[in-house]
Amino acid sequence: MRKWVGVLLALLVIGVAIIWGALYAQSTADFMGHDRQPIAFSHQRHAGELQIDCLFCHRGARISPVASVPSVYLCMTCHRSLKEQTPETEKLLAYWNDKEPIPWVRLQRLPDFVQFTHEMHLDAGFQCADCHGEVERMSQTPRAATFEMGWCIDCHERNGASLDCFTCHY
Amino acid sequence: MDLKRRDFLKVVGLGAAGSMLPGCGGETAKLIPYVLPDEEIVPGVANWYASVCRECEAGCGIIVRVMEGRARKIEGNPDHPLNRGKLCALGQASLQGLYNPDRIRGPLQRDGERGEGRFKPIPWEEAMSRWVSALQKHPGGAVLISRPVPGTLAGLFSTFMKEISGTVFFYEPSAERPLRAANRKSFGIDFLPDYDLANTTYLLSFGAPFLSHWLSPVHFGAAYGRMRQGRPEVRGRFVQVEPRLSLTAASADRWVPIRPGTEGLLAVAIGRLILEEGRTNLPRGDRSRFEKFYASFSIDRIANETGVAEEEIVRLAREFYTAASPLAIGGGIASEQTNGTDTLVAINALNLLVGNINRPGGIRFFRPSDFPASSAEVVGEQALLDLKGPSKKASRSVLMLYQANPLYTLPPSTQFRQVFEEADLVVSFSPFLDESTAMADLILPDHFFLESWGDHVTEGIAPAAGLAQPVVIPRYDTRPVGDLFLGAANRFGGGVKERLSWTDYRTMVREQWRDFFDRRQPGQPFEAAWVEALQKGGWWKPEGKPVSISQRGAPSAAEPARFEGSEKEFPFYFYPFPSMGLHYGQGANRPWLQELPDPMTTVVWGSWVEINPKTAQEYGLAERDLVRVISPYGEIEAPVVYFPGNPPDLISVPIGQGHRAYGRYAEGRGVNPLALLAPLIDAPSGALATGATRVRIERTGRKGRPVLVDQTGQGTRRHTEGGEGEA
Ligand code: SF4
Repeated sequence: MRKWVGVLLALLVIGVAIIWGALYAQSTADFMGHDRQPIAFSHQRHAGELQIDCLFCHRGARISPVASVPSVYLCMTCHRSLKEQTPETEKLLAYWNDKEPIPWVRLQRLPDFVQFTHEMHLDAGFQCADCHGEVERMSQTPRAATFEMGWCIDCHERNGASLDCFTCHY
Repeated sequence: MDLKRRDFLKVVGLGAAGSMLPGCGGETAKLIPYVLPDEEIVPGVANWYASVCRECEAGCGIIVRVMEGRARKIEGNPDHPLNRGKLCALGQASLQGLYNPDRIRGPLQRDGERGEGRFKPIPWEEAMSRWVSALQKHPGGAVLISRPVPGTLAGLFSTFMKEISGTVFFYEPSAERPLRAANRKSFGIDFLPDYDLANTTYLLSFGAPFLSHWLSPVHFGAAYGRMRQGRPEVRGRFVQVEPRLSLTAASADRWVPIRPGTEGLLAVAIGRLILEEGRTNLPRGDRSRFEKFYASFSIDRIANETGVAEEEIVRLAREFYTAASPLAIGGGIASEQTNGTDTLVAINALNLLVGNINRPGGIRFFRPSDFPASSAEVVGEQALLDLKGPSKKASRSVLMLYQANPLYTLPPSTQFRQVFEEADLVVSFSPFLDESTAMADLILPDHFFLESWGDHVTEGIAPAAGLAQPVVIPRYDTRPVGDLFLGAANRFGGGVKERLSWTDYRTMVREQWRDFFDRRQPGQPFEAAWVEALQKGGWWKPEGKPVSISQRGAPSAAEPARFEGSEKEFPFYFYPFPSMGLHYGQGANRPWLQELPDPMTTVVWGSWVEINPKTAQEYGLAERDLVRVISPYGEIEAPVVYFPGNPPDLISVPIGQGHRAYGRYAEGRGVNPLALLAPLIDAPSGALATGATRVRIERTGRKGRPVLVDQTGQGTRRHTEGGEGEA
């Protein structure tokens, strides 16, 4: 009997460690295979087929640390004049009519102790795709990179950017 | 048994794993877009708005960092002449007032007996009509007790109360009433001066706690820095005379302990020496009056009464009159006695003797800006106590409270509670349920200051008026108190409606500023000036022209202070001092301020009793022992902290804790030392003599649990064990 207890305890410890690890990874950088968004929005359709510039919707990227998601109003500037609706665009209209924001699930998130600004990286001449991948070919939007520190440092090294801790941690 | 154990472990394991899942997973952040974009808001980019801090009476300029419509951080306004970009802990923590979970979220009416503290919501419309009809039912009987609100709001309150034949009292326990009374006697001037510390070379302070909470702490803190380090050629010297080693005394070059209540006598001795040794600049005409007064005092008698050695007195006098720009100030424990005003007059006399009025490094008087309707006299405790009794004004009448909490700040011995009990209707406009508001019948909650329009006229220092604008959208169903009074005026009709015809308070503030600018620069377009004032945070001049004084008053009395309680039965002086973070208790509902260590003892989140280690040991009191402090009027229990900075016959306890109401962070924490005080008043100023009650102490035999951040207690213990405990 005592052996059993030992094994059980060991299993428990390992189990907790695995779950802990997974959660830790998730909380520092969100990990989701695919997005499960309230509306099945397709980057492939908008950025790929319709060739809408990233910055048309993610207006914050040029002027702010955060890229920001478009206001429902911005979606509606186009969608209001579409003749044909699909079940997904109907959902958008419903949000608009209810004056409700769309609760998009956040896919990319950096922990609080990292200061990242989109503005500076665009100013330095980077393209959205350099970090986010070719979203125009993705119907659902997975993460393109890990966005972990090693990954940032690699790029900073390759481009001769600052490696000082205080560049991002302040 | 084993099986059960296994089951148990399984359940625990599952529970542990499960509890973590929602912990992190549930927060999978959502990205919430705007439905309609706001032109002024870029997500991730801060907007900064200039406004005015209202956490104490100073009124520092602030700039607030607002992101996505939320106030995130507050800094000092670098342009404001008062604080020049600096801010104190209270100002920083005001965000915790805005986001305080215990804010009153809408109008309430009493549910149950008065004072029971139970309330139920009431619609605004109904609340307003109940209030206004009560006012109409009591013509001439209404009383409003408000914190000082120099600016448009003071004008509104005064006009409203005058028109309905009521009375308004602007009251604040730290209003330095004795200082005002003394300045009237010494200089014939009604407003507070600026003490030019920055240019002083020798500062002689009698208890003025200017590095913690006196008058305008940020302003004086910065000026003090410049006095010590801002000039390449001279480092100003600083001597603090006071019974207890306060934070301010601890920063001085020399601390001169003195017997409580005899500070004025010491000033008299110094004054006498200045005259005697022929070092006065006093005009000949005034001199004889001073000489006549000083003649009846002898230095050795004063040395005896004050406990300051004769050589020390002579040294102080010589240092003072030989300094290039000497300055004497007084406040704190020196003025919170029954002879407070006389003491300050004697201290003022030192400045008159060396002639430092309106000189760099001396006392300067700047007339407050001529902002409309800003002046409203601040009253002392006596004026409030006069409200008591059946024949008096407040009984059977409407008592209104605006951010004043007399039931906490006035000792029970004054029986001020009567005023509440006798009132027909008690109305409070406070955003928080403090002790006095808990006694209300009707609560019409004001916005928090970061949600409101307003202005604040600076007194002393430099001519300045800060302009406050809302930096966030009001969080709850509250209404600006200005709107409430304008609304009430409208319901009243007649004269009061005519005088106060503005549609809302914002318009009133704007119109006051229009008048102000029109008078200063007739013909200038107002809109541009208004926008500039909003951006800058108000209006001010870099430096005003000081006004000259109209009299040079000699001291007229130097009686030692009176104390309540016989020396035999109550062997200790007792000094309750405003705590650095909590002041007179206002800060107690802000966790940041609760966890701000007291600078001298490092205690957080509670009350403590400061006792000289020698005295404590005589009583067999170890540090942290619960001790009972007993006055003729009450008793409190709190843990002992050894404090070598107290003389053996003085017990001190910080003010600020011991709330019976005021929200989850304040309630039931620590004790309120004001509860022990006798109702003794400094007659000329009408201010409560906080330092005039004597106490005794008793062991309880129990241990307390004060939290000292400096757990090792090295500083204190070294003193005690080395036998240097005596102050
Ligand atoms: S001294 Fe502190 S609390 Fe008082 S107004 Fe200035 S910042 Fe605010």
